[in-house]
Amino acid sequence: MLKATNVHFCIRQRPIVDEVSLELNPGEILAILGPNGAGKSTFFKILSGEVRCKHGAIGYNGHDIHKLKSRELAEVRAVMPQHTQVNFPFTVQEVVELGLISTRAKDPAKLIREVLEATHTLHLSGQVFNTLSGGEKQRVQLARVLVQIWEAKPFPRYLLLDEPTSSLDIAQQHAVLKILKTLKSRNIGILVILHELNLAAQYADKIALLKNGMVAKAGTVEEVLDEGILAQVFDHPIQLISNPATGGVFISSLASQPIPTHTFKQA
Amino acid sequence: MSTAVAHTKIKTQNQILLGFGLMLALVLVVSLSMGAYRIPLPQTLAILLDQIGLQVGAFEVQQANVLLQIRMPRVLMGVLVGGGLGIAGAALQGMFRNPLVEPGLIGVSSGSALFAVIFMVLVPMTPALGWIRPIGLPIFAFAGGLIAVLAVYRLSKSQGKTDAATLILAGVAINALAGALIGLVLFFADDSALRSFTFWSLGDLAGATWAKIPVSLVLIAFPSLMLLFNYRNLNALALGEQEAFHMGVNVQRVKLQLLVFSALILGAGVSMVGMIGFVGLVVPHLIRILFGADHRLVLPGSFLLGALLLNFADLIARVIVIPAEMPIGVITALIGAPFFIWLIFNLNKSKN
Repeated sequence: MLKATNVHFCIRQRPIVDEVSLELNPGEILAILGPNGAGKSTFFKILSGEVRCKHGAIGYNGHDIHKLKSRELAEVRAVMPQHTQVNFPFTVQEVVELGLISTRAKDPAKLIREVLEATHTLHLSGQVFNTLSGGEKQRVQLARVLVQIWEAKPFPRYLLLDEPTSSLDIAQQHAVLKILKTLKSRNIGILVILHELNLAAQYADKIALLKNGMVAKAGTVEEVLDEGILAQVFDHPIQLISNPATGGVFISSLASQPIPTHTFKQA
Repeated sequence: MSTAVAHTKIKTQNQILLGFGLMLALVLVVSLSMGAYRIPLPQTLAILLDQIGLQVGAFEVQQANVLLQIRMPRVLMGVLVGGGLGIAGAALQGMFRNPLVEPGLIGVSSGSALFAVIFMVLVPMTPALGWIRPIGLPIFAFAGGLIAVLAVYRLSKSQGKTDAATLILAGVAINALAGALIGLVLFFADDSALRSFTFWSLGDLAGATWAKIPVSLVLIAFPSLMLLFNYRNLNALALGEQEAFHMGVNVQRVKLQLLVFSALILGAGVSMVGMIGFVGLVVPHLIRILFGADHRLVLPGSFLLGALLLNFADLIARVIVIPAEMPIGVITALIGAPFFIWLIFNLNKSKN
């Protein structure tokens, strides 16, 4: 279990993350949602170990994050930041291979081929990373992050992603979240910051809503998706419409106007 | 499939390195034979082979003396300093994640120079310090280089990234400060210190003697080897410090190692032969443009190519105005400066 207990982080006396406690179990997808400036990214950096929290604790499988060496931490969690720039002419293959730098994989070539296939980037493997489009870069970075935890291991592991779909088209967004879904069966817990509420509703098991550095609401998708709570968190009227196509809900932020029925069938 | 790809890649890299090694050997032999006192190539080879016990031809004792006592330490120093400049340049560029980083440009060389000058002025003033003369200079230069590189790093880093503009500005500031302080120190120097500074500041391999080789081996060859072992870490750092940390690299420790080893190499280089510009910038670039960015190749390739280029420049410097010698810094700058301009031009083009 990845457990955050009373995590607190201030910049100039102003709390950015305010007493946040969350749990992520292996085999589930937890989506973090919230308006800009809610403290999502700072909380994310505390979870990944980049930033030390001033108060509170982060535990990976019961081990305090500060007692783990960076190599040990890399064995239990992989992180995909929002943007990654590569300043030198590395090829896609070389970038993805870097994901294996601290794990001793039995068959690295097989792992790399599998993640390249999963992220639909196998055909790019010989190209120079910097010549790719924004969406391709993001998928290659995802492959690089996935390869770190792709090999089966006897202990639970965690994948943290900060807006992994921000540069992707609709089909690729769904492709990425489907990959995340398949990871659940590998004893991996996934925490993902998303902006698109409908993606969260469709793929996540649990949702945590952050606002002003605090957890406004956390729980299962059904518990959290509430018009009143969402409208309050995002300061914008939000409507939930049952989606007959999926049996789930469709979340609309165009609430001031009535929505024609055919639009959400397509969604 | 990928295993085969990986194996061919390593094989190709090794072949490239072997190629550089052979070219370096060729330049060294030519360099040993040419100069104010010409030793024909057959004799040069005969002398070299004689050293390992193979007698293949006749040569004169004077030829052997010139080659072994004067030219040999000189080309070896060229290999160590040129190789050191190349590999330290590659490591610093990788660590700063910036292809514009050059030891001279970011102030490391002038930091080393400042401390070297302080040492040169200090030692004649205090005879009690005379005993540390042979090793004191490189150690002082190392300290100066390390302080400069740490200062530049601190100044230019914001949010885990080094900003190119701040990096260059910090380098300009440190160069200016070190230059002013060197002037200040020289103001108090006596004539002999001033003289040795003038010769040294031009950058010159002529001062190389066998006595300086062991110190250079320890201060350049050993840290270069340590840099080579860091090739995976440098590859990871190319994605960013945070990303490298995510992938399990102990970023703080690796950065400290890279800074200390690079400063050692550069400090030793500066103290032995003075300031030689552009090798540390041009060489890693050429390797990256030609063969890609994998530091498994870039680091050793930069060492070999740096050694090759510096010896080549030294050869030109010795041959072009026989019997006099051109300062080697003039030659490297003549090759390096146009390349640097071309580089800036191309960087701008690739951004648009």
